[in-house]
Amino acid sequence: MAVGGTPVFVAAGGGVLGAVEALRLEPALTLVATPRAAQVLVVAGEQRPSDRIALARIHAQLFEPRATVWWRADRPSGFDFGTGAPESVSDAAAFISAQATQSEGEAILLDDGPPNPWEGVGPYGQGGNGMMGGTPYGRPMAMTTDDLRDGLALDAYSATFGPYLTQWPPGLIMETTLQGDVIQSVRIVEAPLAQDLLAATPHLELARLLRLLELPALADRLVRAALADPARAAAGLARAVRWTGLLAAIPSALARDESGGDVRSRTAGRLDALSAGRPADPAAPGDLAAMLIGLEWHEAALVLASFSIDELRGAIASPAVRMAKGAA
Amino acid sequence: MEALLTALVLTGIFVALVLAAYRASGPRCSPWPQRLPFLGGGEADTHAWQRYHVRFYTMTLVFIAFEMEMMFMYPWAVVFVEEGLKALAEMGMFLAILSLGILYGWREGIFRWQ
Repeated sequence: MAVGGTPVFVAAGGGVLGAVEALRLEPALTLVATPRAAQVLVVAGEQRPSDRIALARIHAQLFEPRATVWWRADRPSGFDFGTGAPESVSDAAAFISAQATQSEGEAILLDDGPPNPWEGVGPYGQGGNGMMGGTPYGRPMAMTTDDLRDGLALDAYSATFGPYLTQWPPGLIMETTLQGDVIQSVRIVEAPLAQDLLAATPHLELARLLRLLELPALADRLVRAALADPARAAAGLARAVRWTGLLAAIPSALARDESGGDVRSRTAGRLDALSAGRPADPAAPGDLAAMLIGLEWHEAALVLASFSIDELRGAIASPAVRMAKGAA
Repeated sequence: MEALLTALVLTGIFVALVLAAYRASGPRCSPWPQRLPFLGGGEADTHAWQRYHVRFYTMTLVFIAFEMEMMFMYPWAVVFVEEGLKALAEMGMFLAILSLGILYGWREGIFRWQ
């Protein structure tokens, strides 16, 4: 369990990412990566109506007694539980922290039954066609396909990730097939949601990357600097980030974009922008889905964090690049 | 006989206490939606029970480089004083070949923690 503040999972929607980073600095709260580790679910920002089921799943994954707080968010229809938090960040933090002990629990919205019933043929549901014993609970067993790296025929795992994955930009939904941790195919279902102006500063874009690389203290310093004055040059902070060896930790020539830049050069550009006090140079991701294929999971997360949210939205908006399949 | 009876009674009491605590601690199972894996709100299309290759050949290389090397070095250390320079040269050649394997493994990224 988290040290210090109340463990909180933030289901971030649109227009709120900068404010969520400010909330993260509040000592009363500790933002955690999964709802299982949280006492309170904070639903923040504008929510897409199509994300209702995803939100209900997140809510069900909290441990009891569940507590939900709506912060700068409209409740989707059917979500008539939880309480609204005050707008200001510090008031909201105190309010959310208090909910952890005050909540008397909330019922889950989803049916308490197997997502798909067992479809075996025997009297106890056992058996089925083929070597793998049918389709337990309505889902097929993972079956073999060729691996992209060396063609070994091994099991592929297909799942939909997002929109509330904390390592990714809020709102991004991707249908991904993985073998081990290598991405075999990607279909982008939904683009990330537009965020507030604070989230577009080089400070917060770097902070996203630093949190992925487990350097949260530096990320917190960047967020503090952005909250104080995002336009001021922060050469000392940029130097502190460089001296961590951040650029060396990023694999070389990862995910070249249309202008020839890779994750490392885009990050270096952000650091230059930070020390000069100007916005970072724009990059064009091109075909994002094709860019992610063949990468390992952690590399894909770095690639997503190396583009600004507006660049990702721009790249996904053109319909031609929404789908890409592996060569295998 | 008396000692055995006492042990049996104590065991019985203990088992009854554990079972009572188990009953009293509430329902056993989480609801179904809570048991799903956390994918940020998404859902898995296939079961997570699957086979994937851990790529043993690189691990084998590391095993030979660091483990089998010691197997050779123990007997070598015993005869080193008798053999002298010849044994030193032989071990030098052996380690040179092994270190090529280590360098190759390094390039392939097997020392990266993933």
